[in-house]
Amino acid sequence: MHHRPAVEIRDLHYAYPDGTVALRGVNLLVEEGESVGIVGPNGAGKSTLLLHLNGILTGRGEIRIFGLPVEKKNLQEIRRRVGLVFQDPDDQLFSPTVYDDVAFGPMNMGLSRQEVAAAVDRALREVGLAGLEKRSAYHLSFGQKKRAAIATVLSMNPDLLVLDEPSSNLDPRARREFSELLQGMRITKIVVTHDLPFVFENCERVVVMDGGKVVADGEVFSILSDEEILKAHGLELPYGFYPAPRRG
Amino acid sequence: MKHAFLDQYSDLDSPLHRLDPRAKLVGFLALIVVCVTTPPNLYPAFAAYLGLELALVTLSRLPWRHVLKRALVALPFILVVAAFLPFFRKGGGSYNLGPISLSGHGLQVLWNVAAKSTISVLAVILLSSTTPFPDLLRAMEKMRAPRILTAILSFTYRYIFVIVDEMQRMRRARDSRGWRGRWLWEARVIGHMIASLFLRSYERGERVYAAMLARGYQGEVHAFYDYGLGMAEAGFAALAALFPLAARLLAG
Repeated sequence: MHHRPAVEIRDLHYAYPDGTVALRGVNLLVEEGESVGIVGPNGAGKSTLLLHLNGILTGRGEIRIFGLPVEKKNLQEIRRRVGLVFQDPDDQLFSPTVYDDVAFGPMNMGLSRQEVAAAVDRALREVGLAGLEKRSAYHLSFGQKKRAAIATVLSMNPDLLVLDEPSSNLDPRARREFSELLQGMRITKIVVTHDLPFVFENCERVVVMDGGKVVADGEVFSILSDEEILKAHGLELPYGFYPAPRRG
Repeated sequence: MKHAFLDQYSDLDSPLHRLDPRAKLVGFLALIVVCVTTPPNLYPAFAAYLGLELALVTLSRLPWRHVLKRALVALPFILVVAAFLPFFRKGGGSYNLGPISLSGHGLQVLWNVAAKSTISVLAVILLSSTTPFPDLLRAMEKMRAPRILTAILSFTYRYIFVIVDEMQRMRRARDSRGWRGRWLWEARVIGHMIASLFLRSYERGERVYAAMLARGYQGEVHAFYDYGLGMAEAGFAALAALFPLAARLLAG
């Protein structure tokens, strides 16, 4: 199989319609199978960058996803391959029932009824929510909502999973379950978060963003144990947390 | 915070629950139309409508408590009419109730409002408590209801309590800072809250739309419909439309 990166971004610039400049020349390469954490202070441009990965926002610069340039004619294919999970599950789960939400993506892909049902079934079982199809998302616990949000993109069989703040507002048990769920999934992952221990646990590589640029990029331990980098970009490890190099 | 959904008990199992929602929609709508166009003095007709509904409640296995509680929503309207009774024009004899004198005419207006609103509300309760709301929306789409209307209803069903919860959190935050709402100038705060709720909902709308796009949304929502029209549906629609009509014609 010939080699091609999952994400290639070259010199990406973006300014919001109100003039706020969010990205000032981002360069990023993510290889297939990698698990990358993106960290940085609020306003660094992390979420803006995520919205570029499937063409919701389009800035100036070059983006390729699995070799496909992000442009109008490729959008449908790219949106199938990139599973973007938003921070607030109430934004992700907009249908009257969990089933409808998980089926939304496959239906937009034009799958047949049996294929949709099979995809929904598989996705819900993968996140451990089988049996809750008929529920309204409103009646799920927060941890269940987060997992249902993941299922809504897993049902599209994505090759790249992109998560915005996956661990926020989860209690320790739900956070643990969520972490295990992620580790069990063997696809390329990009995680944007403020939760540095979560990055330690789930990613091999970390990218630090600040002021709309990538300011550091490398192996998790070497970056997150570098106090100067952390301090310069408003990051810190939780009190009492001492990083150790990854085993194996 | 937990709220009772509009379609509480719609997941029970009964012959009425299993019907195609299209048949129920048409049947109950017909019942309501026949009922509100019935002259108020055809008392046996109203008894027949109510009898039909009570039989359907029994058939649907809905808890009576639930039906009665929901039926109370018509009460405020009836009370408003009752409050204006002494001011109705005279005629049809008069009845003295302590210092107040009521005209027979006025009492007939009250009866008219009370009977028709109660029967209509019961029909809506029967429909909404035996049909999951998403299925009802699909049925409306099947019957060519405008997509914009069903989309608005669908998002309302999903987000109304999310917004209510948001408002309750704002209210707690406000009251925690000692707001009493006693003076007129304090009303400004309510205006600010409404504005901020609007902005938050607007922003949520944008995020939801982004989440839809991210999953390949192209302006069309696809859905599968699991019901079919059969003998039971035809029988129900005939019963709900023809029985009241017959009762009305016989009574008149």
